[in-house]
Amino acid sequence: MPTNQPLPPKENTLFKRILKCYEQKQYKNGLKFAKQILTNPKYADHGETLAMKGLTLNCMGRKEEAYDYVRKGLRNDLMSHVCWHVYGLLQRSDRKYDEAIKCYRNALKWDKDNIQILRDLSLLQIQMRDLEGYRDTRYQLLVLRPGQRASWIGYAMSYHLLKDFDMALKILEEFRKTQTVKPFDYEISELLLYQNMVMREAGMEEEASNHLNTHDAEIVDRLSIQEVKASLLMKAGKMEAAAKIYRELIDRNPENCAYYSGYEEASDPASPEERLKLYQDVLAKLPRASAPKKLPLGFLTGEAFRKRADVFLRNGLHKGVPPLFTSLRPVYKDPEKVKIIEELVLGYEQSLQETEYFSPEDVGNAEQESASVLLWTHYFLAQHYDFLNQTEKALAYINKPIESTPTLVELYVLKGKIYKHAGDIHSAVENLDEAQALDTADRFVNSKCAKYMLRANMVKEGEEMCSKFTREGVAAVENLNEMQCMWFQTECAAAYRRLGKWGEALKKCWEIDRHFTEIIEDQFDFHTYCMRKMTLRAYVGLLRLEDRLRSHRFYFNAAKTAIEIYVHLCDHPVTENEEDEQANTENLTPSELKKLRNKQRKAQKKAALEKQRQKEEQQKREAQKAKAQDPDQDGPKEEDLIPEKLARPEDPLEQAIRFLKPLQMLSSDRIETHVLAYQIYSRKGKLLLMLQCIKRGCAVDRNNPQFHECLMDFLEKVKSQGDLASPVSSVLKQSMEVIYQGKDTRAWNNEYLEKNSDSLPHVLTAAKVMYKLEPKSQDKAVVLATNLDLNGVTIQNCTEVLESLRRGDLGQCEAEALEYEGKCHERFKYATAFMGQGGRNHVHEHIGQSTECNHDHPIES
Amino acid sequence: MTRGNTELGEVTHHNIKQLKKLNQVVFPVSYNDKFYKDVLEVGELAKLAYFNDIVVGAVCCRIDVSENQRRLYIMTLGVLAPYRRYGIGTVMLEHVLKICEQDGNFDNVYLHVQVNNDSAIKFYENFGFEIVERKQNYYKRIEPADAFVLQKTFKK
Repeated sequence: MPTNQPLPPKENTLFKRILKCYEQKQYKNGLKFAKQILTNPKYADHGETLAMKGLTLNCMGRKEEAYDYVRKGLRNDLMSHVCWHVYGLLQRSDRKYDEAIKCYRNALKWDKDNIQILRDLSLLQIQMRDLEGYRDTRYQLLVLRPGQRASWIGYAMSYHLLKDFDMALKILEEFRKTQTVKPFDYEISELLLYQNMVMREAGMEEEASNHLNTHDAEIVDRLSIQEVKASLLMKAGKMEAAAKIYRELIDRNPENCAYYSGYEEASDPASPEERLKLYQDVLAKLPRASAPKKLPLGFLTGEAFRKRADVFLRNGLHKGVPPLFTSLRPVYKDPEKVKIIEELVLGYEQSLQETEYFSPEDVGNAEQESASVLLWTHYFLAQHYDFLNQTEKALAYINKPIESTPTLVELYVLKGKIYKHAGDIHSAVENLDEAQALDTADRFVNSKCAKYMLRANMVKEGEEMCSKFTREGVAAVENLNEMQCMWFQTECAAAYRRLGKWGEALKKCWEIDRHFTEIIEDQFDFHTYCMRKMTLRAYVGLLRLEDRLRSHRFYFNAAKTAIEIYVHLCDHPVTENEEDEQANTENLTPSELKKLRNKQRKAQKKAALEKQRQKEEQQKREAQKAKAQDPDQDGPKEEDLIPEKLARPEDPLEQAIRFLKPLQMLSSDRIETHVLAYQIYSRKGKLLLMLQCIKRGCAVDRNNPQFHECLMDFLEKVKSQGDLASPVSSVLKQSMEVIYQGKDTRAWNNEYLEKNSDSLPHVLTAAKVMYKLEPKSQDKAVVLATNLDLNGVTIQNCTEVLESLRRGDLGQCEAEALEYEGKCHERFKYATAFMGQGGRNHVHEHIGQSTECNHDHPIES
Repeated sequence: MTRGNTELGEVTHHNIKQLKKLNQVVFPVSYNDKFYKDVLEVGELAKLAYFNDIVVGAVCCRIDVSENQRRLYIMTLGVLAPYRRYGIGTVMLEHVLKICEQDGNFDNVYLHVQVNNDSAIKFYENFGFEIVERKQNYYKRIEPADAFVLQKTFKK
């Protein structure tokens, strides 16, 4: 042992006991033995014992002492691999992986063949994607333990991940040769399929194909082998053989749409009729399959479409399939098909009402339909007209079945959805609340209801709604956080943001960010597990997923919200004493204000009580946690997210950049990323970084309205810059020439307007820029922006125009805003956004009601 | 009349509101909270009728011990208008009669019906119920206010 402090036999025995106690989690005993050594003055400074004492303390949650002892131990015995290993473990438990790797490396300097340390090191290396380091460590492990399976697999995989396919394949093949195959050997089968995957990634398609044929009998995952074979055959141009396999796959699972597209591609039908025949052949064999009935509707047209759609619709309505409309949604892209569907279903409706048959010709020739068929027909028509934004008709159609069959949950859900689409979220909430009350065991409807409540800024009600399904004894929000229920947190963040509760909103965003960190941490378990279980394809898939994890839209949405809030906080910091919420009190009458104040007071009281209760609960929980905690597993204690603090960040833009970085890395194909980045860097005044955003944005979608604003802003900013350091100015000059081609802002904006003159979001942007460049042009800009005769005249886009008018993006124009609101109200009758004072009162009223409405005790009629 | 599938299901605190909605539409009288509270306790004596997976009917009974008799009282039995004539009422009534039969200790089963409700009277008569009494002013807020008592007696 390279330690410079060897212990005599008696103490050495004690030391070994400490190690044993640590492994068996008998921490108290471990400390006792450590004390026995350390109380002996001769060994009071014994490094390894001090280090082990520290590690043991760490497991008991005494973090600070732990670090003291471990560091002290290490100082006393820098040549001990134990001390370094312990220090590494300690860092690892705090997720300081880079530090931990350094410690392990130091430990290996003194004991280079220590298997345990090598293994720990390899785990950290793969976790941190230090692939070269991983390869070297796996090599050492292979040399030391050539008899172990994992040694070979790990070594091969390290080359695979480094894209050294040849080497990876060589190692895999050498290893495979040593294996004896048992009957139905799942692990060998997985190994072979992994080997094959590496071949395909290496572009060795022919070898891969041969490989599958050679080992066909050993591969037990028949589904995978068929799928791989089919795609290999297709790539090799062996269409007939590929078609045959796709057909077999369809027989195996007739609902997998990917098989049909493979089947079609391989069969290459010459005409729509032949194409249809492929599906009808399948149906002849599998008459109950639904995909072959549905998919042809995508490519058939005219009469052929009508005929097939007729069969499909009748069948769905007869059976009472609620998602019938959803399965037809894809064909709604085509207006001709929409018209045909409308004609068909209106025909059914009329005939069913008159004769109880789908069509008059059926009378006497077919089975009579029951009342539930008419119900589903109305339900379908309501969805149909909702899709076409014909709110009146949609509501008329959904009200019919509600009147005749008021017990059906789906009807209220749809009615709520129609209201939501029409811009009346409060009526939507009412209907969803009704729906969930009819079946309180339906979590889907419960969640939908909660989501709508959050959309209506009724955060508390939304929480209460969710609490019907969360664990008892824990606040719903906490349980939902623990369960990584991100839709809820995303909606909460959006609601808080609309309410101006920046801190609360940011808290939700950070919680979501932490879930992603957590998911990345969760990989750790799989590094050893998958190697042992041979699920190598899935493991590599996992590693690749984790590498791109934050490209997920859940992260994107949370990050966007957070960045926008931080940018807002940069422009409008929340002062020390200012309340976080900015109640919109300007537009209220005195009596309303009084009401509101009363309500707020009550709410405050309630909140205080609630806080107290939560605090007590928290304490209880923490006490419990401390008891049951397994510190090896848990990461370091996260800093508490305190809304009041979050709303007052020292440097909001730096915080925003923390959310931005993953977007730039993983979502650079989305234009919003570059718009957000520009908003941050323009506030930081970093010209070159702004230029970077502009360049990247141009490559993604130069015509995007938000981005156009950035483009114009940047041109103006650069123009107004005085002298710059010469390297900066020369870079800028070059790039500006490429991007703007010497034209000025006005010219660009006019061009933009001309090019996009029929699209509301584009026109709005252009109008804003126009006004900014030349306030004199206000009248023209307002006329442009308030034109309702454009594409993209949706509730959301019009709301944005209205907000722009109110905010003064187009200068002072209160009268114009009011007039515009009126026009929008005519256009979107149900949308509360355009109901002016009355509408907003209506909203307050709603919120008031629902605050008092207690869902546990529905009001009796 | 087999145009769909009829099944009976339990009334639970999760779906009790569906029963309320149904009763509100089907019956001219409204029932109080106690009615719905009791319904949750009676097990097989209260059932929802599903037609093609939609709640379209319900039956609620209670056991009534009076005048030295053990009787089953059908408090409500009804089907939403569009779903009548599909045999759903029959399924519910047969369920009730089967309970009586299996129990074996009921003297009779009875119910009240508004005197002008011919179709209901006919329906029950088909199952061996007989008018045994006319109660004057049985209903408070609806016309006609009189009710017949329909009863089916079990031989012992």
